[in-house]
Amino acid sequence: MGGPLEGIRVADFTWVWAGPTCTLQLAHMGAEVIRMESMRRVCTLRMLPPWPDGQPGINRSGYFNQYNQGKRSIQLDISKPEGVEIAKHIVAMSDIAVENFASNVIDRLGLGYDELRKVKPDLVMISMSGYGRGGPESGYVSYGPAQVPLSGMSQLTGYAGWQPMHVGMSYGDPNAGLHAAFAVLSALFYRERTGKGQYIDMSQQESTIAVLGEGFMEYAMNGAQPPRNGNRVAHMAPHGVFMAAGEDRWLSIACADDEEWEALCGVMVRPELARDPRFQKLADRKANEDDLEAEITSWTLMQDPLEASERLQAAGIAASPPLMNRELSEDPHLATRNFFVEREHPEVGIRQHAGIPWRMSDTPCEVRRAAPVLGQDNDYVFGELLRMSGERIADLKARQVIY
Amino acid sequence: MPERALQGLTVIEHNRTGAASYASKLMADLGAEVIKLEPPAGDPDRNLGPFPGGVPHIEKSGTFLYLNCNKQSVTLDITTDSGRQVLDSLLRDADVFIHDIPPAEVGSLSLAYERFCQTNSRLVWTAISPFGESGPHRDWKAYDLTTLSAGGWTWLNGWPGHPEMPPLRPFGRQSAYQAGVNAALATMGALFARLRTGRGQHVEVSAQECITAILEMTFAFWPYMNTPTARWGQRPIHPIDFFQCKDGGWIFVLCVEEHQWQRLVELMDTPEWTQWDVAANRFVRASNWDALRPFMEEWASQWTTDELYRAAQAKRIPFAPASTLGQLLDSEHLKARGFFVEVAYPDAGKITQPGAPFKVSETPWEIRTPAPTIGQHNEDILGERLGLSIAEIRSLNGAKVA
Repeated sequence: MGGPLEGIRVADFTWVWAGPTCTLQLAHMGAEVIRMESMRRVCTLRMLPPWPDGQPGINRSGYFNQYNQGKRSIQLDISKPEGVEIAKHIVAMSDIAVENFASNVIDRLGLGYDELRKVKPDLVMISMSGYGRGGPESGYVSYGPAQVPLSGMSQLTGYAGWQPMHVGMSYGDPNAGLHAAFAVLSALFYRERTGKGQYIDMSQQESTIAVLGEGFMEYAMNGAQPPRNGNRVAHMAPHGVFMAAGEDRWLSIACADDEEWEALCGVMVRPELARDPRFQKLADRKANEDDLEAEITSWTLMQDPLEASERLQAAGIAASPPLMNRELSEDPHLATRNFFVEREHPEVGIRQHAGIPWRMSDTPCEVRRAAPVLGQDNDYVFGELLRMSGERIADLKARQVIY
Repeated sequence: MPERALQGLTVIEHNRTGAASYASKLMADLGAEVIKLEPPAGDPDRNLGPFPGGVPHIEKSGTFLYLNCNKQSVTLDITTDSGRQVLDSLLRDADVFIHDIPPAEVGSLSLAYERFCQTNSRLVWTAISPFGESGPHRDWKAYDLTTLSAGGWTWLNGWPGHPEMPPLRPFGRQSAYQAGVNAALATMGALFARLRTGRGQHVEVSAQECITAILEMTFAFWPYMNTPTARWGQRPIHPIDFFQCKDGGWIFVLCVEEHQWQRLVELMDTPEWTQWDVAANRFVRASNWDALRPFMEEWASQWTTDELYRAAQAKRIPFAPASTLGQLLDSEHLKARGFFVEVAYPDAGKITQPGAPFKVSETPWEIRTPAPTIGQHNEDILGERLGLSIAEIRSLNGAKVA
């Protein structure tokens, strides 16, 4: 047996990043994911960099190719009634449907759950809109980058005394995608036991808020917005990212208890710091955190961060440089684990992509093929699965239903 | 027919980092029975806070309470032989064991999956660790900050143009949340496979890889263009920025598609911008952002945050406010959707907290019980279910638990 979802088919109406992250997980598990795309409305990610040699092209985006590995792609214009009918045939042969348009767009297209369950009564369907169905902001438009401020994460993240910050990536998207995949699998498990499908309404705003639980708990308990506080946390000190030798080189260090702090002092060859009354206990270190960080920085400034991490780890201290893309790409640990995936792609050749962050012993998961070029699986889906004649396909192409 | 999606599943959980707790929370909230095994001193998250008034209390840690509703708590020292015998008995009838014990400790405790699957071949064993169960960094120590750093997120977060400021953590233990949600979905995959094969399996989750897998387009910039990423990642299209409004709040300004930009130009009432070469398209605007930014900053400062948010959305431009927690709790939209839930905790009192991350039509997401007090279910589980006497339960846990 291959992946756990071998034999499961997904009608994939998603685009941009959130929805494709959901269906990526299903593809990783062996489901056959059929992306319905169209030249009429090319997926945003296909139009974004990076592109090899900086040359754009709808099949050349590393952004698209990362999050659509292992999927199939067909061209189908679902703004046309015939396109909608064909999409319904695909849904009828599928187990799962996933979409992430703004709320209610899928209904206006005639592909809402109430329509789709007519052709596939036990369908598991998820809508992943920015704001969810119902409520006064339901029709608002949203993208992952905006979910970071909208959910409250920006007001909670940042340097002390600075303005609210972004978090460096459009976190609302992948976080929604992963929660959506969990929800879909739970519903699929239920369907397998009961024969009943169901509809899942996800709001990306709400799924982002769900991972800020400790902030809301603090607000509820103490009635105040937790202040932005850089890399510091209440329960550990030191807990920071310290400047290291070289240009823009840094080292993250966190000590959870006095023992780890004492070990850090040993590696820094500053054993007296552990006995310094300013730094003996966590409360002391929290009260004198500026001094504490200055002492550590005077050491890290002289250190190569990778080499220092090795020595700190050997002494039982949690440390790592903040790795950039190149360092991840060349990371010996990730390489040993075969985390990265390289598959032949007709337009970009063999490129390195992030792989699957979990391993299963009995039903191994794998990336079966590179991300699809647009319309790569037209013949397979329209010809083999839907049994359309060559004439019919040519006619649909001529009338830009297959487009 | 079961009412809840995961009803009938028994999950045994042991948490160290928040990741195991979040994974089993996702399952508990959909109806799985989750038995949480805490060391006699309690799950470490009980010491984490936040606490009411900042005063530590083992039953009032906000992090613990949020992550552990709908679960049962059993105290059990799994570092002792007698504790492990009890774990054996619990796993014999369980569907899932989910834990985030570091791999080296798993070895020294003889907690190998291979041993347990002999007695329960249907068991799904989900092991979360910072770096996975192989590779040269397998036994590296990690906390959230260093895991996020090793995964590549910290590097992306910070303020461009400020080389004196460090790479920055996002709020909350996001490596734990991400490892948790990945563990939950991989566990569901394994449970789905079990419906067909009849067999459980071992599932391994690396928190570092969970982060590296979601770095937007920034990772690909290396293999595709040999371009290193920088703070705030890559922002190839603009506008994407924050501006302060006249009420002191912050608006997040974003246009992804050109038609959104065209409507923004209408909203700004600056038709001449359509003629400007420096604003010709989203990529050009990115390279000329230093020139364009002051104009938009000035314009945004003439609005209140809410007015500008509503006005932009009325034209289908995807702006968003930088919400405070209070604003979210007061949001008419989130109220209409019934998102926040109130939970009454025995010691911490009533708390309004985030609810369902998704709404399921046939099988509810729900909070049935507040987070358990430490060892609250010792007698139910160890006594009634496993048949241990009160004296045996006490001896298992030393003097700490009644």
